[in-house]
Amino acid sequence: MSLRAWFMRIFEDDALPDPDRRTFLRVTATATAAAAIPGTAVAAAATTKRRRHWGMVIDLDRCSACNACSIACRQENNIPSYGPEETFDGARPEWMSMLWQEPQRADALPSLLPLPCMHCADPPCVKVCPVGATYKDPDGFTMQVWDRCIGCRYCMVACPYSRRSFNWTEPTWTASEQQMLNPDVATRPRGVVEKCTFCHHRVRRLCEEAALAGREPTDAECQRLPACAAACPAQAITFGDLDDPDSKVAGLAANPRAFRLLEHLGTEPSVYYLEKDRG
Amino acid sequence: MSRRIFALDRKRPSRVLPAGTAGWYALVALALGLIGFAIYAYSIQYRQGYIVTNMRNPGRGGAAWGLYIAMDVYFVGVSFAGITVASIARLFKLEVLEPVTRLAELLTISALLAGACVVIADLGRPGHGLLELPALARPSSPFFGTFTLVVAGYLFSSVVAFFVTGRRDAATMARVGPRGLRWFYRAWATGYRFTPEEHARHGRTTFWLAITILPLLVCAHSTLGLIFGIQAGRPGWYSALQAPGFLVLAGASGTGMLILATVILRRMLKLRSKIPDSAIHWLGGFLWVLSLVYLYFTVVEELTATYAGPKLDRHVAHSVVTGQYSTSFWVYIGTMFLGFAIPFLQYLRGKPSVTGIAIAATLVNVGAVVKRLLIVVPSQTHGSYLAIEEGTYTPSWIEWSIMAGAAGLVLLIILVFARVFPLTHGHEEDLTRDAPLPRDPVRKVASLVWASIAIVLVIVGLTDSFRVWSGGELDPRLPYSPLIFAAGVMMLFSTAIVYEVLPGRRVRITSARIVDRARTRASAPKSALPTSIRATQRLANRSEP
Repeated sequence: MSLRAWFMRIFEDDALPDPDRRTFLRVTATATAAAAIPGTAVAAAATTKRRRHWGMVIDLDRCSACNACSIACRQENNIPSYGPEETFDGARPEWMSMLWQEPQRADALPSLLPLPCMHCADPPCVKVCPVGATYKDPDGFTMQVWDRCIGCRYCMVACPYSRRSFNWTEPTWTASEQQMLNPDVATRPRGVVEKCTFCHHRVRRLCEEAALAGREPTDAECQRLPACAAACPAQAITFGDLDDPDSKVAGLAANPRAFRLLEHLGTEPSVYYLEKDRG
Repeated sequence: MSRRIFALDRKRPSRVLPAGTAGWYALVALALGLIGFAIYAYSIQYRQGYIVTNMRNPGRGGAAWGLYIAMDVYFVGVSFAGITVASIARLFKLEVLEPVTRLAELLTISALLAGACVVIADLGRPGHGLLELPALARPSSPFFGTFTLVVAGYLFSSVVAFFVTGRRDAATMARVGPRGLRWFYRAWATGYRFTPEEHARHGRTTFWLAITILPLLVCAHSTLGLIFGIQAGRPGWYSALQAPGFLVLAGASGTGMLILATVILRRMLKLRSKIPDSAIHWLGGFLWVLSLVYLYFTVVEELTATYAGPKLDRHVAHSVVTGQYSTSFWVYIGTMFLGFAIPFLQYLRGKPSVTGIAIAATLVNVGAVVKRLLIVVPSQTHGSYLAIEEGTYTPSWIEWSIMAGAAGLVLLIILVFARVFPLTHGHEEDLTRDAPLPRDPVRKVASLVWASIAIVLVIVGLTDSFRVWSGGELDPRLPYSPLIFAAGVMMLFSTAIVYEVLPGRRVRITSARIVDRARTRASAPKSALPTSIRATQRLANRSEP
């Protein structure tokens, strides 16, 4: 390789997909983890014309804290079930869980906040990962490559929302549970960190199916796409493209009741909440 | 004080090394026991997972980092002080510290090895860590600095300094040391010849090594403080004081550990004549200054957090000073204060005592371990901006055992080394970088070429690593560019070895030796030649018919 070509490779951001990286991915990625691997995500993004900013709006006025979202999340993403002791001890992975929110005013009632990963635009967890096991997808997902994680847990202490879980034990399923495992989602071994993916596999499937049919996914198809949104009986969770001004999620995010958690940290979360309607 | 470290006993040349004592054997047994038990504890953790530790998910108020990270930071801190003391002694020609410089370097190397073991114990998947960090480490994570600068910088530069400064003594030992180990001494000596040129070159190398190691150490150790200092999401961590605070606490605990190691070895191996009290007194002075500075940092830290700080900073500070962690906090304050007060009062009275300084050194180290835990833990259990219930963390016996094993490793390395190699230099008093050197263009060019290659590697590796700062790029474009950077840093330091070890023209060296011998025979002033040269020459003369 000439010196000039070498420099071009070093300094040009928009170079073509690079063979070294592909080889590396082929070598390291297991077949199961391939769904979450960036190479495929990049390839998928290359076929999609438009960049999206996937986001979520959770209407606290509708939410009855029934926990259906966290149960559905556990089913969809192959999170093993544990007893209450491990749960309250913090020994089991939690992707979507309820957070007790103290009332802001004396006359208001306390509420429960469904808490997925915020998929921040400027995520502290991505900056601190020493090996790039977590990275920012061009479509707004904050991804975690389980196969690459070395288990240093830096992302866990860096996340201000504490939305990351470590596999403290080897995950186990009973024989009947094993039959219900979702083949679209890789199971995670002991010693790695995991987190909510916004049901990335569902989004990818929808986009690919739409691309095969030669169209773009519609907003209506996206609104209840993640498992938590699909399971919510009160339809409190809405999913979609925040960059699309016509989408329902963008409209809700512009609602005066909308707020994001810990905005002062500048993480720019992609999850909006709608305050309890005081009117 | 006897400078004649190798004041060779002609009748028993093998007795240049200290004999073992009952205390020495007891300590070695203790160290081996600790290491063995740590391996057992780690096997349990390896089989059952990290559930056997008391670390848990922060989402439920647990601490994802605990004793392992705290002790890793502690061990790296101890190593920081070792090499710093050695470099300061060389740079400022502190003769008083000379008897402890080799021990200080040894402490650096052994503490870093212990720190590496602790990291292995902490990583969820250590195998993946070892394979992936050299290939994929990204500079946006402070762990990049820890991986590249601490491993490449501290460990390698300490090994280089240790090797280079030990060559002369190794060459002597190859002639007079125990026969079974002479292969080891010969390998270490790498052809060292007792010529004035070799000596003058050595003076240059040690000076340049010392002056390059110091700034690198400050940078590398700061990355450890930045691991915590740049986390805006954790009240109590987010502070510009973290990096300098880490440096000072590292200095205090490491100086204390050096004092302890010196005092124990002196007693165990009867080295009192070789390591005089004055060295320990000097270190005691260093210890109280650093302890005082760190106490001052603590006061500033807690005042800033509690005065009108953000609500959660106040909350974390209260949990530390008056709340759940108050016992640990006041233990830390008490030990650190005594660690300052004992040597300070002795200094005021003008009567420093080795026992007092050793007690203070122990207390400072207890305080440092507690303080490291107080830095790591409360911000995780009490520092969530969300209304997450507050948890607690106390290390489990598995965690304590593995850490004790790491400490045992440090102890074992130092104890064994003290029996196989002289701990004190015999010749440093007239080392200077200004000694005249004959022209040696080959050596100069070879060293410059070596260093230039190293600098190119550093630039290339660092440039390509920085491309993946935190953007969409996942991997460096050049495979293993973090490793290229680290290798460049290591090569840069190994220039010292190239410069020193490269064989010169034999003819001149032989003639120089003849000239020296002639001078010695003509009973030139003895101080003109260093002790060990004279010793070797005596040996050489004796073997001649």
